[in-house]
Amino acid sequence: MNLELGYIKIKDIKFADKAEVKNGVLSVSKKDLEKIILEDENFTAVDFDIAKPGESVRITPVKDVIEPRCKVSGGGDIFPGVVSKVHTVGTGRTHVLSGMAVVTTGAIVGFQEGIIDMSGVGADYTPFSKTLNLCINFTPKKGLHTHTYEESLRKAGLKVAYHLGKLGKDVKPDEIKSYEYLPMMQSAKKYPNLPRVGYVQMLQSQGLLHDTYVYGVDMKQSLTTMISPLEIFDGAILSGNCVSACDKNTTYHHQNNPVIEDLFEQHGKTINFCAMIITNENVFLADKIRSSDWTAKIVSHLDLDGVIISQEGFGNPDTDLIMNCKKVEGVGVKTVIITDEYAGREGTSQSLADADPAADAVVTGGNANQVITLPKLDKVIGTLDYTDKIAGGFKGSLNKKDGTITVEIQAITGATNELGFNKLSAR
Amino acid sequence: MKFILTNNPLVKTKLGNSIKIEFCDVSLHQILLLTRDYIHKGYKLLSHPLSGSIKPNETLYKSIMLDANIEKLDMQSLSIIENSIMLAKNFADRDIKIMQQHKDDMMTVDLSIISGRL
Repeated sequence: MNLELGYIKIKDIKFADKAEVKNGVLSVSKKDLEKIILEDENFTAVDFDIAKPGESVRITPVKDVIEPRCKVSGGGDIFPGVVSKVHTVGTGRTHVLSGMAVVTTGAIVGFQEGIIDMSGVGADYTPFSKTLNLCINFTPKKGLHTHTYEESLRKAGLKVAYHLGKLGKDVKPDEIKSYEYLPMMQSAKKYPNLPRVGYVQMLQSQGLLHDTYVYGVDMKQSLTTMISPLEIFDGAILSGNCVSACDKNTTYHHQNNPVIEDLFEQHGKTINFCAMIITNENVFLADKIRSSDWTAKIVSHLDLDGVIISQEGFGNPDTDLIMNCKKVEGVGVKTVIITDEYAGREGTSQSLADADPAADAVVTGGNANQVITLPKLDKVIGTLDYTDKIAGGFKGSLNKKDGTITVEIQAITGATNELGFNKLSAR
Repeated sequence: MKFILTNNPLVKTKLGNSIKIEFCDVSLHQILLLTRDYIHKGYKLLSHPLSGSIKPNETLYKSIMLDANIEKLDMQSLSIIENSIMLAKNFADRDIKIMQQHKDDMMTVDLSIISGRL
């Protein structure tokens, strides 16, 4: 399996009558996008806005962040099983509108979350302060059921990203990265002296606002399985996770998974990256036992030397993380786990809901209970109505006198990301 | 016999015909403590007490499925509930008034999570 990612660097976004990518500028037709979104009769109106790095802009509440991509060659299409037909992806050439993102906002439920500050101290905590963001704010029809609203909003964001990605199909990329992912036996033969390393990615799968889709399949309903990391670059894994802004993986995180990128960086040099496994984080203990058993069975069967295990979320998945770690170590395979912490505002309390001596190599994405005061910014895209109720917010979070917001960093999108797509950690 | 310990009225209404419901009109934190009591009495956890990524100080509702395990104390369940109670204490009281619409949303999410694999 070989995939080329062609990065088209987007330097600016503007609204225009004609949609195109020219000289690094993305021109967006509001009319075109409105038509795409309002095809879904669950929406009565939609607004668009553009937020640029350094601007005095706050985007909240954020639901998903998506990078526009398109297939130039190879089988299948972007976001298979959801926006495009089900077909295996991960080969050929894919073009990426790099340096920008589609950001969906909306109040699906009354308790909301997800802040992206484009400037000020908060901007340091989110990677999406560095991207040019096309923001979409949806107005649902009255009385729309929560489940339906979530699904419509999720799909609308993906459809917009798909549509914008197509604009880059015939554009010459500024940079091309090539990836090779060989069948297991061939990879072992090619790199006989390198340790065989796999990646176990745990995917959020608990219910409404807590789900992840793989080729359109709700991961709750899947056993632990294998996937090529190159499929993920083409949008095979999509976020339906709207809760826990700091440590949820948006679709953008999946598309740009830094664990995968770093494993490929070391592939053929210090390691042989030859397996990727995806597993779920269901609520029921029987599911946890079954899925972690399966993870260890696959790891053992593949005769790996080591695996990296990344978590997504808080509390419940801590138990899955430790089960995966303990069982994989139990079959004689070394693990490194990636998580984040809820160690109290002082950072002095127990930080995970589970632990085991086998988890002796741990990478943290930071303490989500850390408190931060965000400055008043001139413009808000979305609404501040939910600031007190936001995850990490509390009574008086929004200071009505000076406009500052004091919250735990769990309110900030991507602040303690458990794929390491952030700046926080500890040594 | 399996049952759901809950303070969520929606779970009682929607799932009452398909599984035994032990409804207690208490706080989320008290649901965790009651769960620990059940475990000490020989019950075991079927669902995780910290289900959902909505933090223990952000939602009012919690539903936990338990089953009888009369042979001996289930140490795995005890470990999970003790760790969950400890972690839940890391979240400071938010001291905010919650509107009924938001309560309804919290109930809906809790119901979705506990009924996902029924």
